[in-house]
Amino acid sequence: MKSICCLLTALALSSLAALAADPEKAVVQIFTFSQGADWDEPWKFEQLRRSSGTGFIIKGRRIMTNAHVVSWARQLMVKRYQDPRPYLARVVFVGHDCDLALLEVEDSQFYNGVDPLEFGTLPKVRSTVVTYGYPAGGEQISYTRGVVSRIELQTYAHIGNRSLLGVQTDAAINPGNSGGPVIQDDKVIGVAFQGMPGLENAGFFIPPPVIQHFLEDIQDGKYDGFPSAGIRTAPLQNAAYRRKLKLPDNDKGVRVDSIVPGTPAEKVLRPDDVVLQVGSYPVGSDGSIVYEGNRMALAMAVQEAQHGQSMPLKIWRDGKEQTVAVPVEVSATDKVLGNQYDVPPRYFVYAGLVFTPMSLDYLKTFGRGWSDTAGAELTYELFYRRHESPKTVRAEPIVLSTVLADEVNANLRTRGRALVDKINGVRIERLEDVIRAFEQPTNGQHFIEFLPKNTFECLERESADKANANILKTYGIQRDRRL
Amino acid sequence: MHLLLLSFFLLASTALLPAAAASDWENSLVYLEVTRKTYEVFQPWTPKSRTVQKNGLIIGAREILTTAEELSDRTLVRVQKGGRGKWWNAEVTWIDYHANLAVLTAADATLWQGLKPATFTTGKLPKEGLQIVRWRSGNLESRKAEFNQFLVEDARLSFIQHLQLEASTEMQGVGWAEPLVVNGKVAGLATGQGGNNARFLPASFIEPILSARKAGKYPGLGYFPFTWTPVENPSTFKFLKLPGDPRGALVVDVPAAPVLEANLKPRDLILSVDGFDVDNQGYYKDPDYGQLIVENLGSRRKFAADVVKLKIWRDGAQMDLDYRLPKLDYSVKLLAEQAFDQAPEYLIAGGLVFQPLNIPLLRGFGDDWKRRAPFRLTYFAGEAPSATRSGLVVLSSVLPDPYVLGYQDARLLVVDAINGQKISRLADVQAALQKPQDGFHTVEFLRGDNLRRIVLDAGMMDEATKRILERYRIPAASHVEAK
Repeated sequence: MKSICCLLTALALSSLAALAADPEKAVVQIFTFSQGADWDEPWKFEQLRRSSGTGFIIKGRRIMTNAHVVSWARQLMVKRYQDPRPYLARVVFVGHDCDLALLEVEDSQFYNGVDPLEFGTLPKVRSTVVTYGYPAGGEQISYTRGVVSRIELQTYAHIGNRSLLGVQTDAAINPGNSGGPVIQDDKVIGVAFQGMPGLENAGFFIPPPVIQHFLEDIQDGKYDGFPSAGIRTAPLQNAAYRRKLKLPDNDKGVRVDSIVPGTPAEKVLRPDDVVLQVGSYPVGSDGSIVYEGNRMALAMAVQEAQHGQSMPLKIWRDGKEQTVAVPVEVSATDKVLGNQYDVPPRYFVYAGLVFTPMSLDYLKTFGRGWSDTAGAELTYELFYRRHESPKTVRAEPIVLSTVLADEVNANLRTRGRALVDKINGVRIERLEDVIRAFEQPTNGQHFIEFLPKNTFECLERESADKANANILKTYGIQRDRRL
Repeated sequence: MHLLLLSFFLLASTALLPAAAASDWENSLVYLEVTRKTYEVFQPWTPKSRTVQKNGLIIGAREILTTAEELSDRTLVRVQKGGRGKWWNAEVTWIDYHANLAVLTAADATLWQGLKPATFTTGKLPKEGLQIVRWRSGNLESRKAEFNQFLVEDARLSFIQHLQLEASTEMQGVGWAEPLVVNGKVAGLATGQGGNNARFLPASFIEPILSARKAGKYPGLGYFPFTWTPVENPSTFKFLKLPGDPRGALVVDVPAAPVLEANLKPRDLILSVDGFDVDNQGYYKDPDYGQLIVENLGSRRKFAADVVKLKIWRDGAQMDLDYRLPKLDYSVKLLAEQAFDQAPEYLIAGGLVFQPLNIPLLRGFGDDWKRRAPFRLTYFAGEAPSATRSGLVVLSSVLPDPYVLGYQDARLLVVDAINGQKISRLADVQAALQKPQDGFHTVEFLRGDNLRRIVLDAGMMDEATKRILERYRIPAASHVEAK
């Protein structure tokens, strides 16, 4: 919390020093050539894709934009306002959970004559804002004006499974606007980032508290992300439940309904604790706090902390009030449950059998109706086992994603999309176990067991070993593994 | 050569017999009208009425055969002969939902005057001259049908896989027990239609059941509850130490229920059933129907408690197994497949609506319930009952009232325990609610669902239930079947 305050102070002081008179001079257009990963055949990449977005120059010779503008980038090109020359850029920091990225242009001429934009504070609802950007429909910079419609936690579509503070405006935000500044009183009070299908006159931007958290996070040279408390809460509005917990029948306090297994909160909190206050924010019986005059979910208070910090909580337990410190962390599991970027999937290929970790991205290769076609076992493994059978959880569930047809595996009935249980008797907890299991001495056969229903396959070890190199060559796979 | 000669013989034999004129069926086919109760799945206290028309076949003295579909929860069954005129009241004297067959009778002797029993085909089915016959708008309609194939597939109303006949026809709306006839005899009864392909219960499936019933020796259908898989991989046979040619169906899963004295085990190979050799695809050559999957041998002139002689390969040696067929029972699954002839169960306690989690409830989400129903409910459809949990109960909804304030959005949560007692069925809920703890009822839901626990004032529950029943015009607080 101390470091957050320092950063806020620094920004406030710098904002007094200089004001950008012509914000558009600091607004750049970004051209991205990207190549996403293939999660089903993980040694491959998708076709090269060209897209464009917006960014803006900030202090420290950096360009701020959205993470989704630069994801999977093979090459980034930026153009300044009314300057025909393209400059090459590279990503310095990216936060996929908060959809923010910082770029750097090596050519120092790029920054000549440009005043970096300064950040403002969270705008008030009903106040007027202007977006700057290069949306579709033309070549030149475009401005749109609107009011702040509401401020609350929003799902960030880029990662898909996190809700952070977001601001809704009726200023038009269209494809190409992404990463552009939202300006009020010559200061950046947001980064335009998403719309919502079906909503008219509604665009969303990332507000200063999220931007500041991102900037503070990277101070140590790496980005960690937004932590969570590891608890699930339930409204505490039923008089009987409050009476059972010996709480007054008022509008204060939310009940801890469950604790996410494996999180630090397990050591500090327990079900039926009542959270009365998070940090300096009193918590309502519906689990909300008041943040800068806006009522929103208490997760907002947790997100003010950085990964690894502790969050002071005032709780009600056994009929008494007490204060505890809950360590908050960024969950590694959350990453595989959301959309992943920039790091291609891990894999291992043996005798044409392709093994890769399970993730949301992998399940999406099943098509639009993946939750139906992936089958109950894969869906359960990824989304539910952690909560329902924490003792049986595997650190990194592995699937046989596909079988590259070859004489050595032609008779296998399992052709992919199967959850791996054991190989040669070794329980597969992570990808490295697959490699270790195939290296185990056996009686001439490899024995691979799948979940559920005890299905299994056998491979002749000698012929599998012999075929391996040839299969990799046939299918153009340069390396048998990415770990 | 053998096949060609056989075809020639069949063609010749049909040519010698005169095709049955449509009018011959006027005295053997009757029109049925069934009125039955149906219920709104999520408001099970609200009965509705539904009337359907179907066909009935005279099979003996005062006996009409039809399919069992749409006969459950019947309130009135009427019979009409000649396609028009007077209706006679009828009653069901025997019904088997698994086999999808029912026998009706009528007390009024005048119905039977002029009616003539039909007979079933025996032996091999003539492939030429097939017709589908039905009453339509007062006239007997007869249309040509082309034999497509015999196949073993899921029964219409049960999880058994048994022999079915598929024929193509231009007649539409087939599936209401229309007889498939040839040479003046009945070859099958229609159960459904997809496009131009209609499905029939073949005479060879129906006739043994009717004969056994007539003799008072019909115990119901038996089935194979285990799961098997084809094997093409020579390495798998090597692993199983099976010498000689690849053969046999590989057993991969044997459910804990039903309990059988001499049972199969995972990794058994079924080499033959009742003398029929089983190939490595799990097929055997049926002398009457050609290649069929092994499931058919669980219902091929066999009933529940009959023994089928299995030759199996287990642990590197061949052995004989007298496999006694278990009786089909909807309740053998964790989620019962059907609940016929009983009003749906429910229990309202202080606004909480509890219902058994079963397949009929999931069908409330539509025909594509596997995709549309919440995953956490559909997942259980593939799960087996355990020693501690024979079934599941779901909190399907909450009827808003001050008593349940704070819980009004809870819905479709699987109940784990009430007041510390594990819940498998509604009777358990009733019993648990008799034992509040310290003046409170605590309802706990299975892990993984959003809400884990709610607490209610035990002393106020009865009064709240009474008030809620009046407000929502619900006739009774519960319908719970005695078990």
